[in-house]
Amino acid sequence: MSSSSDTIKAGAQATVRERALVAALADETRRSEVLIRVGEAVGAGRDIDVIVQTVVDGGVELTRAEVGAFFYDYDGGRFGFYALSGAQRSALEHFPMPRNTAVFAQTFAGVAIVRSDDILADPRYGGNPPFNGIPGGHPPVRSYLAAPVVSRSGEVLGGLLFGHSEPGRFSAADERVVAGVAGLGAAAVDAMRRRNEALAASEAQRGVEASLAERLSFALDAGRMGSWALDVDSRAYEASDLCKANYGRQPDEDFGFADLVASIHEADRDRMTRAMEAAIRDGSDYDIEYRVIWPDGQVRWVHARGRADAIVPGGAAKRMAGISLDITERRRAEARQQLMLNELNHRVKNTLATVQSIAFQTLRTARTPWEFREAFEARLLALSETHNLLTQENWEGAALRAIIDSELEALGGVGRAVVVPGAEVHLSPKAAVAVGMGIHELATNAVKYGALSVSRGVVTVHWQVRDGLLELDWTESDGPRVETPQRRGFGSRLLEKGLAAELGGSVELMYRKQGLTCAMRLPMAALEGRNRA
Amino acid sequence: MTDERLVGLRVLVVEDEMLVSMLVEDMLADFGCAVVGPAPDFDAAMALANSAEIDAALLDVNVAGRVIFPVADALKARGVPFAFASGYGAAGVEGDHRDAPVLQKPFRQIDLERALTGLVSG
Repeated sequence: MSSSSDTIKAGAQATVRERALVAALADETRRSEVLIRVGEAVGAGRDIDVIVQTVVDGGVELTRAEVGAFFYDYDGGRFGFYALSGAQRSALEHFPMPRNTAVFAQTFAGVAIVRSDDILADPRYGGNPPFNGIPGGHPPVRSYLAAPVVSRSGEVLGGLLFGHSEPGRFSAADERVVAGVAGLGAAAVDAMRRRNEALAASEAQRGVEASLAERLSFALDAGRMGSWALDVDSRAYEASDLCKANYGRQPDEDFGFADLVASIHEADRDRMTRAMEAAIRDGSDYDIEYRVIWPDGQVRWVHARGRADAIVPGGAAKRMAGISLDITERRRAEARQQLMLNELNHRVKNTLATVQSIAFQTLRTARTPWEFREAFEARLLALSETHNLLTQENWEGAALRAIIDSELEALGGVGRAVVVPGAEVHLSPKAAVAVGMGIHELATNAVKYGALSVSRGVVTVHWQVRDGLLELDWTESDGPRVETPQRRGFGSRLLEKGLAAELGGSVELMYRKQGLTCAMRLPMAALEGRNRA
Repeated sequence: MTDERLVGLRVLVVEDEMLVSMLVEDMLADFGCAVVGPAPDFDAAMALANSAEIDAALLDVNVAGRVIFPVADALKARGVPFAFASGYGAAGVEGDHRDAPVLQKPFRQIDLERALTGLVSG
């Protein structure tokens, strides 16, 4: 009987062992399933909140803790994010973050796993003000299990904390399980960090690109620059709105490569296509100014610059891009400047020829070098005076009154001459020089030989405009007795032939005994420079 | 001394600057030429170019704001040789008349003499 009872006993013991084994197996299976579930969640890795929640839930389930928490950080040093789990989670939500206490430091400094059957009895517990232990209202914790969450690089990413209100609830097996779960948590936070960094980098890159594109577009607009791109093989041509505007096109109008070429002035088209082909062939800069004909017929100047780009180094160019700029105003300004330079050159050369003429003719009539010098200088100054007057009016002309006054003044004859001005007469530059020279010759003669050579003598200058004719009379009186000269000097020739011929009128000198008179009859059209077609 | 071929030569002068035309007249008188004109503007120049008895001409390129080339055309049609005088130099001469001699102002008397001699012996 005893044997049977032993057998029964042994059978019962075996059943107990079996049951224990079955239970242990079931427990392992459950743990494995939980771990697999947590691992899958980490592996799928979409939402960090879901992942950490799965990790802490898994930890709670595996250790049968009443409460679990996962504190973690992914932006440097502060474990400011957390997930809670377990029956008591709601009671924990209002508590502050764990501080750097002696107990917590083991975890958050990554020192070691802490497993305590009764944390209240732990020598490290309760030494930190203000709470000196678990704060009031906190769910009671006796059994305590905490693991640092450490990345592969050794950095502490956070901590997994589990608690139970009864002591002695966590086993060595629980400690190993929590270590494993902490590894999964580390992998999850690591992956999230990398994803965030990559995201931030790509966002920053996108930001840089967006702001570059924006600034470029703004700069192009501000500079009135159009931009364009050409696909070399297909000749597909893209032009910005401003680029189209440079060719007289609206933003919504089609403007392809054929339109571009067709819009270029016939005389510039070959040059443009050759330059573009060279840029594509040699990779040289495309930099050209050409005329374009707008749809409304107006001709504008465009400056285009660009460069062809080989996608493969050393390969054939695949695309070309650049800018275009309307330079019509600059071109016009250049043309105006060129015109002014030509005109200036023309005037200078004519003035030199005029001076040459004065020297040539003064030399013919001068009897001595001294006489030449005196007369030449005086004539040069007369010419210079007229130029001064013209410069004052931008070489648009000079007033007859001003010319007469300045020539008389130069010879000290202003107070001695009675100027009876008629209508205001404005002379063209050429007429001003001619009339100025004529008045100079009359005044010089008056000062040297005529009425102004004696103190009592008087000169009267009177003019009027009648029937498009300037009638100017120079009358000398009370001077020395006048003799008709034996030979005609430069002055009389200049007046009677030169001035009369140039202005298409008549100039008559009369050597009356009581004084010289000069009667000029000059057409206003010639004086004002209106005789041009 | 002065080239014999220039003596008695009838030369049309077109020049709008009074003093310059007086200078040219004096230079031509020294050669023994007879001056026709001087014409101070385009219309006078054209009238003389079409009808006056002339053997040669000296034309200012720009007379009172007008280019003289139509007058040069008229002279060419009559077979009258001509030279240009210009403040712009040779650059101011265009078109069919590039072969005509150009005197850049100011020019020396001997430059004018050579130009004229070239015209009448050419």
